[in-house]
Amino acid sequence: MTSLSSFTTEQVRELKRIKRRSWLMSYAMILPAILFLLAFVIYPTVSMFIMSLYYGNAMNPYKKFKGLANYNVRPDFWVALRNTAAYTGMALVLVMVLSILFAQWMYKSRKLNNVAQTVFFTPHLVAGVSAGFIWSWLMSSQPYGLFNTVFNALGFSTVRWLDDSSTAMFSIVLMNTWKNVGYYCLIIMSAMKSIPTEIYESARLDGSSSIKTFFKITIPMISPQLFFLLITITTGSFKVFDSVRIMTNGGPGDATRVLSMYIYDYAFERNNTLGYACAAGILMMLLMVAVTVFDFGFVEKKVHYQ
Amino acid sequence: MAEIVFEKVGKSFGSTKVIENLDLTIEDGKFTVLVGSSGCGKTTLLRMIAGIGPATSGRILMDGKDITHQPPEKRDIAMVFQNYAIYPTMSVRENIEFGLKNKKVPKEERDRRIAEYAEIVGMTPYLDRKPSDLSGGQRQRIALARAMVKKPSVFLMDEPLSNLDAKLRAAMRVELIELQRRLGTTFVYVTHDQIEAMSMADTIVLMEKGEIQQIGSPEEIYHEPANIFSAQFIGTPPMNVLPMEDGIRFGVRPESIDMEHQRVDGMALYRKGHIITREMLGAEMQYKVRLSDGTTIMVRSEENDRSDLQEDSDVWIMARASRIHFFDKDGKHIGHGGPDSLLAKLGGMNE
Ligand SMILES: Nc1ncnc2c1ncn2[C@@H]1O[C@H](COP(=O)(O)OP(=O)(O)OP(=O)(O)O)[C@@H](O)[C@H]1O
Ligand SMILES: [Mg+2]
Repeated sequence: MTSLSSFTTEQVRELKRIKRRSWLMSYAMILPAILFLLAFVIYPTVSMFIMSLYYGNAMNPYKKFKGLANYNVRPDFWVALRNTAAYTGMALVLVMVLSILFAQWMYKSRKLNNVAQTVFFTPHLVAGVSAGFIWSWLMSSQPYGLFNTVFNALGFSTVRWLDDSSTAMFSIVLMNTWKNVGYYCLIIMSAMKSIPTEIYESARLDGSSSIKTFFKITIPMISPQLFFLLITITTGSFKVFDSVRIMTNGGPGDATRVLSMYIYDYAFERNNTLGYACAAGILMMLLMVAVTVFDFGFVEKKVHYQ
Repeated sequence: MAEIVFEKVGKSFGSTKVIENLDLTIEDGKFTVLVGSSGCGKTTLLRMIAGIGPATSGRILMDGKDITHQPPEKRDIAMVFQNYAIYPTMSVRENIEFGLKNKKVPKEERDRRIAEYAEIVGMTPYLDRKPSDLSGGQRQRIALARAMVKKPSVFLMDEPLSNLDAKLRAAMRVELIELQRRLGTTFVYVTHDQIEAMSMADTIVLMEKGEIQQIGSPEEIYHEPANIFSAQFIGTPPMNVLPMEDGIRFGVRPESIDMEHQRVDGMALYRKGHIITREMLGAEMQYKVRLSDGTTIMVRSEENDRSDLQEDSDVWIMARASRIHFFDKDGKHIGHGGPDSLLAKLGGMNE
């Protein structure tokens, strides 16, 4: 090893310069990311928090300082929260279960696989707003609603999908499931494909039934991907907006008024309640953080990483 | 306890035929070793017995019962896979226990057996670890324990010791032989290591390119090789095979050659040679010798203190009649130590 003392002072200075330059370089490399984070995450969050302390509207957010008064939420907040929870719960179960089942069904056969994959994946490419429109037409209880036309033709009575407060939320979940399941299914399927076939053969020799193999081997082996689904579906469902806005606009009554609809409503459709909407937004964000922290803290322990 | 019979069995993957028209009887309660070079179809054969890669033609019988199309879980068989195929999400204990649970073995019995076999493979301290924390050799030992604990009537092992270090491999070899003797179970053991095959087998099945070259005890395979392939597969270095007239060849094992400065009477083979290299292997010496016609042969000797046999010295290469094998032009074994007509021709080539 050459020690530093064997260099001339000139060389030492040069070395230090190189070191400083590489230090600068590394920060320069992450600078764009930091700037993005500051401009599009940190700054809006902070200003939203500041706005939540005021009384005002979109034109003039800072009319009057109210401190934390906006955080004293109104009763309809709880309704919106409950709706969001219901939506998230239904979407989570439905999307997870369906993508696992479809993946399990498709991953073995290449032919089926290619066709089915395309069929399932295409909806994911459709814009949320368009999908909402298409489905409100499909689900309409007017004579032109396709689902009901089919139902009536088969002798069933009309289902008032979006017009009945007991089915409206589920109808929206259904639409979003149709839209997203192909994408998640793809993730699950690639995870299933990475399981060596010898493991399944070994399980068969061990006398394991296919149900048992599925729960004892397949599910644990795709748990990292399932965990990914859990996080993305939960956070995604929490923020659901466009489909609700298009398909029911929060109705009938308040049946599908989810948190983001609620915030939108207070921010842009009412007078001087922007601060209140911002407070609800902050609460929603904290809630999402809490759920994610819970997922990572408790659920992730059950995840098996290779 | 089971005897396995292959009747005209064929196996193809798509249009590639890997095995054709194979007849083989694997005896009940014997330690049978399938040996052959990489890609010759050893794993394919095991998978047919296990039922996870069914034969595409012919029949496979187990104790006289046709099992060709029986699903694997209905066969009383355990297999150690070449790549272990242990369940990565389960602990060592759960891996070993899985098959027993499926067979509804009561908890006490399960715990007793797990303890017993974990001890045999030396994995007791690791029972609650996950396979990802273990070395390749340790995983292989889990796979062994997982198979043994089920006490199957046929035990299939696909190169189960290939990832163990030399010392552990020797120990496990003895352990497996003892286990087989104790249980009296039919063992089918795959390896490409001829030493493993020789030391463990009751019966060796030597394969090449999907065909069986020879079936026999280690002694038979060594002393009565069915053909040149068989003769050269077993033994390190392989048997020296040299041409004679009419496409006939003779072979002599490196360890059967006597090498001296002086001609010794009473031998069948005499050749002059020149030592090219000399390797000290510990207990034995190994020489590479060039004969006067330019061919090189290998010689192995237990006399490891012969300072007179140095590189660059001229020697006589000699062998007794009984040690000389003859092969016809198709490579099939004609006999050893005879016939005299061929021995005479060998002598005729003396200088
Ligand atoms: N699923 C498969 N599809 C196509 N060909 C296969 C398949 N499995 C095996 N083969 C071919 O069959 C031949 C025999 O393979 P096998 O795995 O039985 O060899 P092996 O004797 O076990 O070799 P090794 O000692 O390397 O494990 C090989 O030529 C291989 O390419
Ligand atoms: Mg193999």
